[in-house]
Amino acid sequence: MEFIPKPKPPVTGNEALHLEDAFHGYFDPSVGRVRTVLNDIDLIVSRGEFVSLVGPSGCGKSTMLKLFTGQEIVQKARHFEVLGRLPSFPDRSRGVVFQNYGLAPHLSVLRNILLGLEFQASLLQRFSRNWWKQARDMARNYLDDMRLSDASDKYPTELSGGMRQRVAIAQTLITIDLFGMPELICMDESYGALDASTREDLQIFILKLWEKYKKTVIFVTHNLEEAVFLGTRVVVLSQFWTSDQPAAQQEGSRIIMDIPLEPHAMSTEVKQTPEFKNLTKYILDRGFNPKQRLHVAEFNADLRHPNAFSSVTREQCATALADGSAAAAPQP
Amino acid sequence: MQPMENSKIELKRSVPLFWGLHARPGMVFGRVLGLLPVAFLLGLYMFASHSRHRVNPDDKLMPSLHQMYNEMKTIITVPDKRSGKILFWADTKASLQRLGLGIGIAAAASYFMGILMGMLPGFRALFAPLVTGLSNINPLAILVIILVALGVGENSKVFLVAFGIGIPMMRTIAGIAERMPGELTVKALTLGASQYQVLYRIVAPQMLPRLIDLIRVSLGAAWIFVIAAEAVAATEGLGYRIYLQQRYMNMALIIPYVIYISLLAYGSDLALQGILKLPCFRWYGKTED
Repeated sequence: MEFIPKPKPPVTGNEALHLEDAFHGYFDPSVGRVRTVLNDIDLIVSRGEFVSLVGPSGCGKSTMLKLFTGQEIVQKARHFEVLGRLPSFPDRSRGVVFQNYGLAPHLSVLRNILLGLEFQASLLQRFSRNWWKQARDMARNYLDDMRLSDASDKYPTELSGGMRQRVAIAQTLITIDLFGMPELICMDESYGALDASTREDLQIFILKLWEKYKKTVIFVTHNLEEAVFLGTRVVVLSQFWTSDQPAAQQEGSRIIMDIPLEPHAMSTEVKQTPEFKNLTKYILDRGFNPKQRLHVAEFNADLRHPNAFSSVTREQCATALADGSAAAAPQP
Repeated sequence: MQPMENSKIELKRSVPLFWGLHARPGMVFGRVLGLLPVAFLLGLYMFASHSRHRVNPDDKLMPSLHQMYNEMKTIITVPDKRSGKILFWADTKASLQRLGLGIGIAAAASYFMGILMGMLPGFRALFAPLVTGLSNINPLAILVIILVALGVGENSKVFLVAFGIGIPMMRTIAGIAERMPGELTVKALTLGASQYQVLYRIVAPQMLPRLIDLIRVSLGAAWIFVIAAEAVAATEGLGYRIYLQQRYMNMALIIPYVIYISLLAYGSDLALQGILKLPCFRWYGKTED
């Protein structure tokens, strides 16, 4: 039988991310060569999507975000466009929320939130008292929304982790109203250090803001439940896969699953439904299990999102083609 | 809550006042303890001084407190015959001026250059080898060169202080700036900051209290350089006075001067600590993560 890799969807020009055959790696002095971290990544994300990016630890999720923000530059790719161009250095079009260190420690909460407006204000606005008043009112509104009004004069170190992360999110998003930036928001394990209830609060908080602005969000997390709850699409990056090629070419992570979810935010009760639990378990079993590596020929079954595609070559799945197992991928 | 009031169990444990891991000397006794070794040494000195004076009433090596008091009283109240100045205040002013200017120049230069070297890799590549090389030069070893090049006036003394503490400070600031979490820079850039805004809005303000801390650490060295420069060539200054009086073995003046210099150093450290306690530096020192 013929094996057909999932074809690339038509490019509409409305993509926030457009990656094709992207490779990235780091020089590893212990082996004296470049060790591949991202192996042949294909990913198209439309504007306004909320993509959860999950994967086992060490799979290169954070590396991928660094490529999006411009902290690093991709080493090899047929296409690597973020918001329509190869990202150069970090700039205001791509916001980022880190797990730590998001806030300037020497500025009060209010000043921190104003930082983006201050940086992006034109010369005229910078000298206009009226404009600053307006900006401060806006920041105060944000603080009220976040139940942080009492903390506006505190310094970041005086806040709890959850409060700090809310400030960091507000800091990143406040410029959208006035400047339309950022268009892409990268969240790098932003909730990783929070306790369960604060985490849930902030999940609802980010969903509300996403529904309001409809900007593209790439949410990196190691928490599967969080990924499935938040995203309109969950992308699994994993180093646990195999192909018929020599082992040297199987290094690094690939996108092994790409599953569409509800295109709108849901209530937290959905986490208790059997469908939700089944899906989380399914992803966990197939994507996170180092003992049971998925063969590239089986990816098609899990690349279910309409925008998902893969450029698997015939050599990579020669044996799978021969015995016909390429077609026999299990269905959830 | 009720049973507590009626309970007659003794809820105290004996805490040692002085000895052991659990000791709590407390406020008053703690202070008394701290004074004990000082008082002991002072007593020892007075005893030794007294014994020597009994043998030789003209002994200059260990003057009595009374002699020191008289010497200080003269230098503070009686104007110098030649210049008409009160030497004590003239010395203080001269030394503090050299110290202040030197520290000021060192602080300004190290703040500016340190931030640039720490944050801009090109700048670092350009200047780091030079600064590292300079920091290995012993400032006192080149004192003679400085005197020849800049003359025996104020310039050479200020330069010695500025050079002596400025170069290590520059390296330290550069190191701190370099080790600042890169996420902060990325974050600022994604908020729309220009590269210069990252420097003067994010990095520079965070370096300011660290600079003040660094000055505190460098104060001791700065005093060494002031006194050393004054010892070699000066017409007034605390260090100059000490070395001048050394010729007459006038310990009765030298010892109080040494104590005075120590108090000045302590005072300037307290002043800098006071700056760090200002509300605008409230965020500093709460290093939680």
